[in-house]
Amino acid sequence: MLTLEDTSREELREVMDLAAACQSGGLDQLLGGKTVCLAFFESSTRTSASFELAARRAGADVVSLGEKDSSISKGESLVDTIVTLDSLGADAIVLRHPAAGAARLAARHTSAAVINAGDGCGQHPTQALLDLYALGGALGGFEELAGRRVAVVGDVLHSRVARSVIPAFRTAGMEVALVAPATLLPLECGAWRVPVLASVDEALDWGAEVLYALRLQKERMAGGSPRIPSVAEYAAYCGVSRRHLDSGALLMHPGPVNRGVEVSGDVVLDGRSLIPAQVAAGIAVRTAVLALATGAVHEVAA
Amino acid sequence: MSDLVIRGAHVLDPAAGLDGKMDVRVSEGRIAEAGDNLRGTRELDAGGLHLFPGFVDVHAHWRTPGREDEETIESGSAAAAAGGFTSVVMMPNTDPVVDRPVIVEGLVRRVERESRVRSYVSAALHAGLRGERLTEMRLLKEAGAFCVSDDGLGTASAAVLRNGMLYARSAGLPVILHCEDHTLSTGVVHDGAAAALAGVPGIPASAEDVATATALVLAAETGARVHITHVSTALSAAFVGFFRDRGDITADTTPHHLTLTDELVGTLEGMYRVNPPLRPDGDRRGVREALVDRTLDFVATDHAPHAAEEKELPLEEAAPGFLGHETAFAALYTELVRRGKLSLPRLVEAMSCAPGAWINGTGTISVGAPADLALVDLAGEWTVSGETLRSRSGNSPYLGRRLTGRVVGTVVGGDLVHDEIGARFGVRA
Repeated sequence: MLTLEDTSREELREVMDLAAACQSGGLDQLLGGKTVCLAFFESSTRTSASFELAARRAGADVVSLGEKDSSISKGESLVDTIVTLDSLGADAIVLRHPAAGAARLAARHTSAAVINAGDGCGQHPTQALLDLYALGGALGGFEELAGRRVAVVGDVLHSRVARSVIPAFRTAGMEVALVAPATLLPLECGAWRVPVLASVDEALDWGAEVLYALRLQKERMAGGSPRIPSVAEYAAYCGVSRRHLDSGALLMHPGPVNRGVEVSGDVVLDGRSLIPAQVAAGIAVRTAVLALATGAVHEVAA
Repeated sequence: MSDLVIRGAHVLDPAAGLDGKMDVRVSEGRIAEAGDNLRGTRELDAGGLHLFPGFVDVHAHWRTPGREDEETIESGSAAAAAGGFTSVVMMPNTDPVVDRPVIVEGLVRRVERESRVRSYVSAALHAGLRGERLTEMRLLKEAGAFCVSDDGLGTASAAVLRNGMLYARSAGLPVILHCEDHTLSTGVVHDGAAAALAGVPGIPASAEDVATATALVLAAETGARVHITHVSTALSAAFVGFFRDRGDITADTTPHHLTLTDELVGTLEGMYRVNPPLRPDGDRRGVREALVDRTLDFVATDHAPHAAEEKELPLEEAAPGFLGHETAFAALYTELVRRGKLSLPRLVEAMSCAPGAWINGTGTISVGAPADLALVDLAGEWTVSGETLRSRSGNSPYLGRRLTGRVVGTVVGGDLVHDEIGARFGVRA
C-alpha cells in the first residue's frame, strides 16, 4: 500500500467493504499472529495512534519505532531500519517519512508489506481511503460517490493528502476541482487535468457538493518564499465558512485544523462537517488495510 | 443630448488607421464617428491642430499620501492633463506605502473627487515594499487597485518576485516591475566615463540588466502579466526582445532616457539624478531603436516630483527623479520626431494606442471608444519654465529648453479637462 494512483475502483470497494465488516465487529482477531511494525521517521499523532489501535485491537503484535528513543533518532538510515524490522519478522511495516518515495524505497528491502503512512509531499493513501469511507458513510455508500463533485481547497503544492485524495476521489467516480492561488499549486498543476478555481465560492458555483480543505501551514506567509499574504485574505477566498455549508456542501479536512484559517471556527463540528467521521473511520479502514496487505483476510477466509 | 464635433483637425490614430484632416463627433463621452462635414450641437474649430488619442502614462508618482507638498492627485492630474495625458497609473511607493486595501479605497475616493484624468491606483507587490511578505492582492483588487508594482525599490529576492508574480496571476492583476539589483546599484549616476571624470559613485548598467533578466525569466515561467517599466539600457531592451513572445510581457522606456544622456553628470547638479540613471549615448540609441521596432511597447514618464530642497543639492545628496507629464510629448517630438529618428505615428502609438490598449481600452479614436483626446499644435514652440508647470514641483530636466509641439487641449470622456486656447473652445452652439 504505497500509493492510490494505480488502485482500481474494485480494489477501493474491497477496502471499503472490509472496513465496514471490521467496524461492525464481525472479524475478531483478524490480525492474530501478525507482527506490525510502526516506523515513524516524522512526528505524527493521529496516524500513528490510529494504526497502533487498529493493529492491537485486531490482535497483532506491535513494535513501535518513534522519533524519540529509537534507532531512528540515533540516525539510522531508512534502509537499515527496514532491514532490521524485516529481520525481526515483521509482516507489515507502517512507514511515515519526510521524503516522497520513502515507502517505495523501503518496499524494495523487505518482504513485509509496506504501508505508506505519509511520505513527504508524496502520498498518504490510508488518509484518502478513510476519507472515501467517511464520505461514503455520509452519502449512503461507496457507490453513491460516483458523479459527485469535490473541491480540494488549499495548499495542494505541499500536500501528500492532496496527492492521494485526488486520484482516490476520481477512481471512485467523483469529479475533482482544485481551489488555491497559484503560489500553493505546482507550476504544472495541469498534470491532474482538473479545473483550478479561484475561491470556495467559485467551487460552489462549479457545483461542489464536498469541500475538502487542506491544512495551511502558517510559515507559508513569511520566510524566504512567502506564498500567501495574510490569514485574512486566505480565509476570505480559500476558507470554508458557515455560508458555504448553509448552501448544502459537506466539509472534510484531514486534520489538524487551523480554526479561522482554512475552516472557520464555528463549522468544524457543524452537522455538515465530516471531520469527526473521518477520524472515526481511521481505525476500521487501517485494520482493513493491514489485513489486506498482510494477507490475513485470505487466511481467515480459508 | 449634446454632441461635440471637433472640426478640421488632422486626426492621427494608428490603432484606428486614421491619418488625415477630418471631423470627430463625440457623444455621451465616447467617439460617435469620424468623417467629413459632421454636425453636432457644439462645435470646436480645430483647424491647424493635430488630434491624437489621449496619452496614457502607466508610471507616475503623485506623492499622495505623504508628500502632498510635492504633488497631489489634483496637481498631478492637472499636470497630466496639461501634457495631453488622459489616463495615468499612480505608483505605490508613498508614505505610507499603498499596501493595504483601506489605503487603496482612500485613494480611489480621492481620485473621484480630485482627478482631472482617469487615474489608476497601483498597490505594492509586497508589504511596505520590503520584499518579505506578499500583499493582499485579491482584497487590494476588490478595493480598486488596478495593478501591483515594486516601483521605486524593486524586489531583492527572486523567490519573492516569483511568488508575487504567481499570486498576482491568481488575483488577476498585472505586475509593473522596477528592475534594479540593489547589491549592484550602490552608486548615484551611471557608471560610465562621465561618472569617472566627475568622481561621482557609479551605478553599473548590470544593476538594471541582471534584475531585468531575472524578472523576464520569471515572467515567462509563471505566465503572469508583467510590464517592465523604465528600461534604460540597450542590453535590457534586447532581453525584453528575447522574452516578449515567451510570456505576457510588455515594457516601456521614458522620455528622458530617450532624449538625455549621462553627459549631464558633468554639471554635478542634483537636478540630473534619476533612477535608473541617465545612460551613455549607446544606450539611449539602443533604447530608442527598441522603441522604434516595438521591442519596447510604449513610453511612460516616471513623473517624479521633488521639492526644491531635495534637488538643489550635490548629485550624491539629491533625490532621484524628474517631472514628466508636461514635457513628454514635446521633448520626444522635438528630439526624436523632428530629427527623423522616430515617426510621428509610432510616437502616437507609443504614447496613446499601446499603453491605452494595455491599461483600459482607451488610446484610440475608433467608434465607441472613450472620447479621450489630445489636441496638439505641432508648430507651437514654448520654453519649459517652472512658473508655468502645473506640477507642485519644478524638477524638470528640460527647464529652460525651447521645445516644439504644444498640447493645447485635452479631453477625457468628452469633457475638456485642459484648455489653452479658450477662444477656440468658446464652442459655437
